[in-house]
Amino acid sequence: MKSNNGIKFLTPAVSPGNHCPMRIASVNVEKIRDLSSLLVGMPECTTHSRLFNPKPEGRHGELHWLYVLDAHEVVFGCRDGLIDALRKMDKAGAKAILMIATCVPELIGEDIQAIINEVQPELSTRVTFVMLGQFKNISYPPGSWKTMEALGTLMDGKATVSNRVNVLGRAPEEEHIPMPSLLPALTRRGLALRYLAPGSSMDDLQSAPDAALNLVVSPFMQPLAARMEREFDVPYIALHTLYDVESIDRAYTVLAERFGFSWDNAFEKERQEALSLQNQAKERLGGLRYVFCPRIDIPLPLAVYLTGLGMEPLLLHLEEYYPEDRGYAEELIDMGHNPWICRMVNAQADLPILEKLAPDLCFGYLPEPNKTITCVPDLFDFYGQVGYARTSHLLKRILDVLSEMNASGKGGTAHGSASI
Amino acid sequence: MGLHRFKPLPSGRMGILWTLAAIRDAALVEFGCMGHMLYSGVTLKRAGVHNACKLYSTHIDETDIALGGTERLNHTIDNVVKRDQPRVIFLLPSSIPEVIGTDLPALCAELQPEYPGVRLLPFGYGGFNITQHRGVQEALLLLVKALPTDVKRTQEPTFNIIGSCADLFRFQADAIELVRIMEGTFGIKPLCVMTSDTSIEEIKNMGGAHINLVIRREGEPAAKHLQQRFGTPYLLGRTYGIDGTTRWLEEIAQIAGLTADAAFLKGQREISRQQLASVMPSFSHIIRAHPEEAVLSLGGHADVVRGILTFGCGELSLAKGTCWCDCPDMTSEDIPYFSEDEWTRAVQEHKKGYLMASGEALEWAGRNTELQISNPDTKWRLHPYEPPFMGFRGAVHLVNLWINENIED
Repeated sequence: MKSNNGIKFLTPAVSPGNHCPMRIASVNVEKIRDLSSLLVGMPECTTHSRLFNPKPEGRHGELHWLYVLDAHEVVFGCRDGLIDALRKMDKAGAKAILMIATCVPELIGEDIQAIINEVQPELSTRVTFVMLGQFKNISYPPGSWKTMEALGTLMDGKATVSNRVNVLGRAPEEEHIPMPSLLPALTRRGLALRYLAPGSSMDDLQSAPDAALNLVVSPFMQPLAARMEREFDVPYIALHTLYDVESIDRAYTVLAERFGFSWDNAFEKERQEALSLQNQAKERLGGLRYVFCPRIDIPLPLAVYLTGLGMEPLLLHLEEYYPEDRGYAEELIDMGHNPWICRMVNAQADLPILEKLAPDLCFGYLPEPNKTITCVPDLFDFYGQVGYARTSHLLKRILDVLSEMNASGKGGTAHGSASI
Repeated sequence: MGLHRFKPLPSGRMGILWTLAAIRDAALVEFGCMGHMLYSGVTLKRAGVHNACKLYSTHIDETDIALGGTERLNHTIDNVVKRDQPRVIFLLPSSIPEVIGTDLPALCAELQPEYPGVRLLPFGYGGFNITQHRGVQEALLLLVKALPTDVKRTQEPTFNIIGSCADLFRFQADAIELVRIMEGTFGIKPLCVMTSDTSIEEIKNMGGAHINLVIRREGEPAAKHLQQRFGTPYLLGRTYGIDGTTRWLEEIAQIAGLTADAAFLKGQREISRQQLASVMPSFSHIIRAHPEEAVLSLGGHADVVRGILTFGCGELSLAKGTCWCDCPDMTSEDIPYFSEDEWTRAVQEHKKGYLMASGEALEWAGRNTELQISNPDTKWRLHPYEPPFMGFRGAVHLVNLWINENIED
């Protein structure tokens, strides 16, 4: 498997299937202050987008409008209509516009970039676009990472501020995601953090190239970080893919060296806790076979970590194959494992196959009637968390499930020890 | 279509889907990207359609499009047949197969011999100039052309309702009220409530009914077909108001040769009038002293708008305000089709009186969303037992809504 296209469905009849990338794009644009959007598509896509971005106007005057192709435009293109729509949005006060092209405009090969090139000089608003036809972007992650990457177009090169660090993947105000201890520690050492994610403002996003470093805490922001490195020479460090204590050590050391300060054992307590849990996990998880189901946002890095702890991957559901996943795939193979990769699009039909595989542990979402597979459910709540504490929380959760499983006599003896 | 701030006119494909999705013992397979069906499923659940037709998608990717691959459809059908054993599988194209010209009927003809116990029924009218209402019409027509078997009239009189579909606001509550009234007035039961409360078996048997009650104009071609094939008479009309419902029942009695239970009818009229009695003086006062407030503006399906307007103006002496319909093909002099620009202007200019329209329009305008009579909706409708708009109970409900609007003012 070399790309998203290589991921086959585990069973063929899709019900209900993966979210469309349009959904996530619609959700994200609604949260970015001063960013307007024009969703381009057929009545289905434009109607359904209102499930996720229900109001045509945002709180700060953002416009979230829809462009629906008619029968003539499906054949001859919608260039004139889109130019007219952008002019109207410009006149109506849009400060920046993201055009979201769905399946049919992508299928008919509408050249959105050429349309923007043509109309941009006469507009006071800046326009960018993202192509999100689901026939090319099978699941929802591109709706997030391609959308955020597209906002790079709206950025301008700026002089670097030596103590400015962008945190990519965390909004300025997060109520649901605990603050990783790393970030306040950086602030205490004089670094000025700017949080960039859906939930930020266009002002912050547009100013982002002045940073000395991008810290990535979400897979959905890494492509934007890579783009900023290419176009604005802002280097980045990806933290979201680091689970094992040693790799977190190395990343933190690089970070301190870059800005010329010392951590002075600031994380020692949480590091020791993570290390202790990691050692316990190696003892208790070794030899257990696992599968990944949907709702795991960083699957291959997590698979590499679990396999490094001695677990055996059987089957991995991948929502998205990111460009950087190739390295993790190679690591898995180098570790002597070559698990099946699939996309689960019908939980009820997939369940019997999973039961037949009989893994010791399943990670992610399993449908209701599952009675036999021990599951570490939904891991989405680790989104935006990084560092030693995330590793500890993850391992604790796995070990707790394992303890419960053993206590109930449900399993665990196949690959573990048993007393006489 | 062009630029929109609000939900556009739904496509014919959506109209077909909303019509079919409520039918039990069937499966629906959409050939296209999976997002369509996922969110159609969500929309249907929000509208209150549960445990009916099983919804599937094949998904389609670049390679399928480039090479015209349809294997996904074959595999999906095979899987659905084995897992669910539906009596019928409806097949729908989504927008991509419509662009690339996939021939669903030909594919179904090819696959049908492999599945002798399951009927594969492909639906057309997926083109880009077909709108929701035409989709509903064609779906209803194809259902009655393809599924009913040769049956004799039922020994005891029965009836069908044609056109109770998930695209109409409060479709289930209205159908329940009609069934209640029919049972009470004539002591007869429905064979098929098409499609909000029906199964493949019930559609197969619908030729046995003594009368077809067509509650929206999109159902008339289906009723005409049934009349031609089975000789079943039909009555086209949505019934609103106390007198309106009485007249509707009288017409049914005449067309189907049924005898109404006079006591039930009298009782329903009396109960309704008693329930309204306490607010009628207020209505009279408003109409006499504040005529500018006794204006009824309505936007929605042409038949819904006309029905409520006839009740409000005919039985309560309200004045007609700005009224519009949501389908260009149904435009008329007194209830024209309004584009988005036109209805947003009408809503903004409506200062006094009763404004009943879609949930989307009322919410956007900051108006009372209790006065919603049409879709697009903005809320979940989990249970079907909300008060209806049609029939005797619908009349009381409407007056209740209007009098509360006066109190709020």
